[in-house]
Amino acid sequence: MKRGAFWSWLWVGLGIAYFAIPLIATLEFSLKAERGRYSLAAYRTVLSDPQFASTFSFSAGIAILTILFSLLLIVPTVYWVHLRLPQIRPAMEFVAFLPFVLPAIVLVFGLIRIYSRPPFALTNYVWSTNLLLVAAYMGLALPYMYRSVDTGMRAIDVRTLTEAAQSLGAGWPTIVGRVIFPNLRTALLSGTFLTFAIVLGEYTIASFLARPMFGPYLANMVRNKAYEPAALSIISFALTWAMMGGLQWVTHRTPGSTQVTTGPR
Amino acid sequence: MAFLEIDQLHKQFGDLPAVSGFDVDVEQGEFLSLLGPSGCGKTTALRMIAGFERPTSGTIHLNGRDITNQPPNRRHIGMVFQSYALFPNMTVADNVGFGLKLKGMTPADARRRAGELLELIQLPDKGGSYPYQLSGGQQQRVALARALAIEPQVLLLDEPLSALDAKIRVELRAEIRRIQQQLHITTLYVTHDQEEAMSLSDRVVVMNKGFIEQVGPPFEIYNYPRTAFVAHFVGQLNVMPVRVVDAAAGRVALGEQTIILEPPLAANGQAVTLAVRPEELELGAAEGHNNLRGLVESVNFLGSIVRVRVAVDGATLSADLFNERLLTLPKAGEAVTINFPAHAAWVLEEQG
Ligand SMILES: Nc1ncnc2c1ncn2[C@@H]1O[C@H](COP(=O)(O)OP(=O)(O)OP(=O)(O)O)[C@@H](O)[C@H]1O
Ligand SMILES: [Mg+2]
Repeated sequence: MKRGAFWSWLWVGLGIAYFAIPLIATLEFSLKAERGRYSLAAYRTVLSDPQFASTFSFSAGIAILTILFSLLLIVPTVYWVHLRLPQIRPAMEFVAFLPFVLPAIVLVFGLIRIYSRPPFALTNYVWSTNLLLVAAYMGLALPYMYRSVDTGMRAIDVRTLTEAAQSLGAGWPTIVGRVIFPNLRTALLSGTFLTFAIVLGEYTIASFLARPMFGPYLANMVRNKAYEPAALSIISFALTWAMMGGLQWVTHRTPGSTQVTTGPR
Repeated sequence: MAFLEIDQLHKQFGDLPAVSGFDVDVEQGEFLSLLGPSGCGKTTALRMIAGFERPTSGTIHLNGRDITNQPPNRRHIGMVFQSYALFPNMTVADNVGFGLKLKGMTPADARRRAGELLELIQLPDKGGSYPYQLSGGQQQRVALARALAIEPQVLLLDEPLSALDAKIRVELRAEIRRIQQQLHITTLYVTHDQEEAMSLSDRVVVMNKGFIEQVGPPFEIYNYPRTAFVAHFVGQLNVMPVRVVDAAAGRVALGEQTIILEPPLAANGQAVTLAVRPEELELGAAEGHNNLRGLVESVNFLGSIVRVRVAVDGATLSADLFNERLLTLPKAGEAVTINFPAHAAWVLEEQG
């Protein structure tokens, strides 16, 4: 074997080990719930816990709502900025960056102070608290969502495509829904995926608003149990990967959306 | 009333007037080109007609209807862009059928009509392909079919061929003309390529710095340019600084040599600029023509044409000769006589 190849393989090996060893260790630990032998006991406990299913599905629901509302808010906004107000792009970048420098604890206190008392009083009802939760997560997700939408818009010639659609008789809803949005699909994946992961693991806001989210459930489990949190980690890891695969599959079924070259600019 | 009436269109971007006093009437079925150098306002004029840009002042009437402030999606005007602008997420057939479905046509009818149009642009098998699977020339054909599908009252094209290579350009421009004549569709075509404008158009609008310099059929634009700008911009031009000797007789002096023109001319003693096209010049002396003596500066063999540059008292003139196998080319430094008839030269008006 050539020297160059040896070093390449070494680095690849180290890279894989860096990610794989903690995972394998966690997996191994999660299987040792019964003394002296490997078993799936921890997994059985986790999966039979009704709270697991309920918090996971509740969080997933909140995550999907967050993604949906974020897209509805961000796609038209960024589209309009690209089309008509390109000069305010730096300001948009700055706003989108804010959630990074704002600690979640500050955000949640601010939200509660403003929205839990009149005239809003959103925390009085369960549905309106959920709404507040979604709004808070939209804030957290903003940097990722904005970035992926902005990147997607830059990859297509937004203005010319818009004008082409207009000259064919399309109004704004048709243009956004049938021309702009479909061509962003691939670019949106990273943003939606990150948002999903963030909402699923989020702890601070969820606990302060006292909603039955997956993040607090996980944290509680870590405090009180030994083997089950490890099993839970492996399960969420598997679910995450399954989702990624699902998204890949969805985009691969639509060949046009993976190629966005529109010829010379 | 003309089919498309454009009256005193004006567009200002900040302090900068991009288009001024744009005033053209276009007849139904006419092919009109907007020709001019980069930045002269061609695209801006076209975009105002399409509705993408709102005129600062002026009006546009289409078929008797005032469309000046109508949104672009209600104008029934098709547009073809330089960058093709096909929808990347849709197949070729869906691209072509896009406007039809918006008009309320059923998917089946739209598909059938899209098929007909793909037939027209000679890409009948490409309906299921995606834009990225096509060459640039094919993509532009599809863009043309898409614009034509909605049966627009006017078709606008903004430099549709400038992203393509030379051979495809010539092919596709013939194709555009064929389709335009077959459908008898009123067409406005923006280009900075004079050959394209000349070969395609019924009439050419020559623009400069936002203003229209001249409107007319290609033959007239080329042979009877009304301004110095048009004369220089369209085709090659020889210019000679001359002095009027005898205005009534049409006699002017180029250095020591005399040239006879068709009178009337400006006042005696005035300095004017004389223009003549290179293809009007011939090598050798000819009875009844203006004969000028000079020295050959260079000889350029261009294939079907040989361009001989001759230095004559105070001017360098190019003579374009048709290539023949029997032609004996002069050599650089040789003394030659060149001639042109009196009617071939004209006096350029003072400006630009
Ligand atoms: N949106 C705009 N804002 C400000 N100025 C503009 C805008 N669009 C065009 N201009 C200016 O108007 C003038 C005419 O531009 P236009 O695009 O119509 O030229 P053109 O003849 O199409 O040139 P080209 O052959 O390079 O395409 C230019 O000076 C250009 O800088
Ligand atoms: Mg232009």
